[in-house]
Amino acid sequence: MWGDRVRAVLPGVAVLALLLAGLEWAVQAGLIRRVLLPPPSVIGATLWDLLASGAFVDPLLATLQLVFAGFAIGSLIGVLLGTAMGWWPAAFRLFEPLVELVRPVPKSALVPPLMLFLGIGFTMKVTSVALVVIFPVLLNTLQGVRGVDRVMLDAARTHGWGSAHTLRHLVLPAALPFVLAGMRISLGLALVLAVLAEMLAGEGGLGFLILDMQRSFLIRQMYAWLVILAVLGLVLNGIVAALERRALHWQNRNP
Amino acid sequence: MLLELDAVSKAFPTRGGPPARVMERVSLEVRAGEFMAVLGPSGCGKSTLLQMAAGLLPPTEGVVRVLGRPITAPPPEAVYVFQQYSRSLLPWRSVRDNVAFALEHRIGRRAARAAAEAPLAQVGLAGFGDHYPWQLSGGMQQRVAIARALAAEPALLLMDEPFSAVDALTRLDLHALVLEICARRKLTVLLVTHDVEEAITLADRIAVLTPRPTTVAQVIEVGIDRPRDPVATRELPRFLELRHALLERLMTRHVG
Ligand SMILES: Nc1ncnc2c1ncn2[C@@H]1O[C@H](COP(=O)(O)OP(=O)(O)OP(=O)(O)O)[C@@H](O)[C@H]1O
Ligand SMILES: [Mg+2]
Repeated sequence: MWGDRVRAVLPGVAVLALLLAGLEWAVQAGLIRRVLLPPPSVIGATLWDLLASGAFVDPLLATLQLVFAGFAIGSLIGVLLGTAMGWWPAAFRLFEPLVELVRPVPKSALVPPLMLFLGIGFTMKVTSVALVVIFPVLLNTLQGVRGVDRVMLDAARTHGWGSAHTLRHLVLPAALPFVLAGMRISLGLALVLAVLAEMLAGEGGLGFLILDMQRSFLIRQMYAWLVILAVLGLVLNGIVAALERRALHWQNRNP
Repeated sequence: MLLELDAVSKAFPTRGGPPARVMERVSLEVRAGEFMAVLGPSGCGKSTLLQMAAGLLPPTEGVVRVLGRPITAPPPEAVYVFQQYSRSLLPWRSVRDNVAFALEHRIGRRAARAAAEAPLAQVGLAGFGDHYPWQLSGGMQQRVAIARALAAEPALLLMDEPFSAVDALTRLDLHALVLEICARRKLTVLLVTHDVEEAITLADRIAVLTPRPTTVAQVIEVGIDRPRDPVATRELPRFLELRHALLERLMTRHVG
């Protein structure tokens, strides 16, 4: 089992290692200017210092908190609104024009106006993240709720299930794969918006630090923070994927 | 009379054209305690008929009555067993929880789970409560659907070609199961099928449908004593006689 896993990821890891080694060589040989890209070994050492000193904790927590709060709020709104619109035609008619209007707007463009109203604090940043999270979750939930098998719904009716019981115990579980897929898409976008909002607000967090280091010509540090951000993205994605697998264990049926 | 269809018609709207009239003034009466089969060729509107009887589909014209009461929604007396049994089960629920489906909204999930064991045992699935539907064969999934219907303890069981998607041996098994259940409890059953032998084996009376627009051509008394054995019944002269008459009738209709 483990041996198989290792053998499966080995080629990909080899490509990565080769790429890093190539970069290292290219920089050392003077093909790439050091001021633009320090050798990976130097970035690694800087990263190690960051980790060892514990200086990474506060900015990481700030960004994590922002992504988590924005993701939770946005997902909640997306699921509630998507379910309502999928289940009650009246709710669909009520909200569809609004959703269609706001959905195509790149949410990054909404950060400057949000700063006017909400300032540059946590509220503005969370709102930006939540805004980008809502739509993929909402649309996927809507699709999932509408796609519930009619036969299943009729089974609930013939057994005398009420509307609330059907919604909670049939429609929502049936739509769950769609909801989770929407949340996985949203998570990546949440990270993008969190970093962007932090850069524009200039008040700390990983996004702010990456920009700040670049402006201060602390190029090694910039790359080190970038690596931390990449690992954060990787870990968050892994968590959501694991949750998805757990919740949808019944989908892993054999053909 | 437990169930009455009174001059029921059904037309489905079509794109552009006039509505498609599928069912034309169908009248049918099912007495309490009897097993009635509705026999008709594929696509003649058997599912449509049964769904109207179940209150799942409103008729275009006519009235459906259960215990003399006109119905517009699924009545508490009736439970429908679907032709597409695998789509009617909840794939994220274990077999036990799928059977608890029938009761949980009335007595709560915990009590419903406990009450699921008896019907599961009755259909021969004791010990499969923790399995998931996709881990079972088609015949076993259909048993789960039947156990779920039995758990609701309905007065009227409406079955839509419940055995058409399983192999011939499994079908005989399920026929034996249904005969046994009907002998044990006082159930009224309306079964829809295109299988002549199935109708004769199981039913007290058989309503034969015409092709579309569908009406009831004839209602036949089967007149074979109970208890019946699904294998031995097939060798009785009365069985062969009915089989001959019904097949001929359905086939000539089909060709003509
Ligand atoms: N919702 C619908 N809209 C339009 N036409 C429909 C609808 N439901 C059924 N029909 C049509 O009504 C006819 C009867 O369908 P129905 O499913 O009741 O037949 P059936 O006898 O149960 O068929 P089968 O033996 O294949 O189960 C079919 O020709 C079908 O195309
Ligand atoms: Mg049918």
